Amino acid sequence: MATFLLRRLLLGILTLLVITCFVYGLARAMPGTPLTAQMGEDPSRKLNPEDQERLRRIYGLDKPWYAGYAQWLGNVTRGDLGRSITRKQPVTTLIAERIGPTFLISGTALLLIWLVAIPLGLYASARSGTADERATSLLLYVLYSFPTFVAALFLQIVFSVWLRGTAWELPLFGMTDLPPTAPWLARAADVARHAILPVVCQTYVSLAYDSRFIRANMAEVLRQDYIRTARAKGAGPWRVLFHHAFRNTLIPLATLIGLSLPGLIGGSVIIEQIFTWPGMGRLFFESIRERDYPTIMGLTLMFSVLTLLGQLLADLLYCLVDPRVSVE
Amino acid sequence: MANSRGFWAEAWRRYRRRPLAMAALAFVGLLLLVAALAPAIAGTKPVLCRYKGRLYAPCLGYFNRQWEPAVFTKDRFRGTYPQNLKDKDPESWAIWPLVFQDPFRAVRENEWPGRPENPAKDEGRPSRTNLFGTDQAGVDVFAKMVHGTTVALLVGFVSMGIAGTIGILVGAIGGYFGGWVDSLTSRVTEIVMCIPTLVLILAIIAILEKPTIWHTMAIIGATGWTGIARLTRGEFLRLKNAEFVMAARAAGAGPLRIMLRHILPNGLAPILVPITFGIASAILVESSLSFLGFGPPPPSASWGSVLNDARSNLSMWWLVFFPGVAIFLTVLAYNLIGEGLQEATDPRLREARK
Repeated sequence: MATFLLRRLLLGILTLLVITCFVYGLARAMPGTPLTAQMGEDPSRKLNPEDQERLRRIYGLDKPWYAGYAQWLGNVTRGDLGRSITRKQPVTTLIAERIGPTFLISGTALLLIWLVAIPLGLYASARSGTADERATSLLLYVLYSFPTFVAALFLQIVFSVWLRGTAWELPLFGMTDLPPTAPWLARAADVARHAILPVVCQTYVSLAYDSRFIRANMAEVLRQDYIRTARAKGAGPWRVLFHHAFRNTLIPLATLIGLSLPGLIGGSVIIEQIFTWPGMGRLFFESIRERDYPTIMGLTLMFSVLTLLGQLLADLLYCLVDPRVSVE
Repeated sequence: MANSRGFWAEAWRRYRRRPLAMAALAFVGLLLLVAALAPAIAGTKPVLCRYKGRLYAPCLGYFNRQWEPAVFTKDRFRGTYPQNLKDKDPESWAIWPLVFQDPFRAVRENEWPGRPENPAKDEGRPSRTNLFGTDQAGVDVFAKMVHGTTVALLVGFVSMGIAGTIGILVGAIGGYFGGWVDSLTSRVTEIVMCIPTLVLILAIIAILEKPTIWHTMAIIGATGWTGIARLTRGEFLRLKNAEFVMAARAAGAGPLRIMLRHILPNGLAPILVPITFGIASAILVESSLSFLGFGPPPPSASWGSVLNDARSNLSMWWLVFFPGVAIFLTVLAYNLIGEGLQEATDPRLREARK
């Protein structure tokens, strides 16, 4: 076990080095610097060449990209992700600010997905072949193919434009309209109202995918000999389904849970962009547009670590639920 | 005894039995037809016309600017054909596209005799002259979408063609040779999996001076091969010790021949399934990029860029509805084809049906 973890750790560090080096090189190759990208929009904030040169030196933009990468890497090993150039704040502070809103959406979505997908998948396998199961499966299939950004726009039109002025109206974007001084309960209710549409958009695709996944795995397990044996010895249909079949579909499910980890904190760029939700995905998008190298790098590092951790978690969960599999 | 049916004939027989999968195939066929005939369905240039005693097909200009006959540029048509043809050669005749609307500009008043100007701003609801309405600039949405079909189809085929080639090559080499080659290719696959696709695409589009739709396709293809590589590797690991491979090796076949002629055809069916699903996701990635405003610049209008226009004014529901449904149906069709393929070629699922 220890050697397995050590090997994975070393390989993971190697992977991280390659990815961050590649992304840093790419980011620096984009035309413009954080200074020019920021000034471009507002002519009154144009700096004279000397000031620009001074700022470039301060931020290390006058050095070639590999020197900048080495400097960034050195700081990271000391636990310092650097300061955002365009926002004048430490990257860790920025991430800490944005992680809560993202988690609010993706955590709620993930909870909803598993609360609904597992019963739905089991229901579909129990009623396999009946008319209501076929209708549910078809609906799930249609939902699975429905693009999120199209759904988001449809929902915005229905709930923010057509239902404007009714009790069903939902806010178009943002996280809250109330000032920070408003009472706690009113603010929580307002944030919840703002979160409904993004949560729905983030939930439905995975919900459809996961329940179809569970159903497919159940279909596979239900064909096995031990299920026939269980039925033959007189176990009831629900007991066969839960006790004998479902337990054996936990293995692929474990992989799925592990792989959903990066999305939980990474958020969705498109959903956060449509609803202008102040989360990680939007921060990523903005930092690319502003050429804010420290923020791009901090987020890339975080996403890559999460992806690798998710894969590791999937492997470990796999061993946990299936004693036949061992990490050695 | 007669020859038994081959694997692919058998798979096709099974595929045909699924009405939804067949409908999806028919839908993709329809899209191909629309893309090929786009200038004849919606446009302002004649499909065929006789001008000063010669036959021309100005509609080809929609495929490539240079294919528009030079005589019309010389005679100062400036893209408006109906009036100019009549004025400059009273003898001329022309076969017009089904819908007289242009995907790149608004049709002006009386450009087509008796036809009013396209409504601009937010007044262009769907009507008889503008089937799917018009956008803020007054450009006909139906024409935009008919011409955008090409982009939707190309994105799927080209990017998955690239991803399939890379994925099959990397997976085949890793799975066949094993050892350190395998650990190298597996590491590379893992690294590409970890790179955030969006950063890559946005960065490369920013770096390129003139990004075109082909660059977007190339990037989607260059990042979307990891799943295919993993599956191919698994198939090659499974098949490389099979008897028929050993027989081929004994007969003196080299590794390249064994990989391409013997193993690949036998492992192709399960690899085709993720490629089909990949087409669906490539179309999704492209349209969401266009939707975010990072799509190909005009004139190659894609369905996602129509959606992007809708963001500034949500009361123009037709800018969301028609392209949204088109993207949805296309993605659904490819997913249905992928699933049909899976059911038709997976022997384990076949046994279960009996």
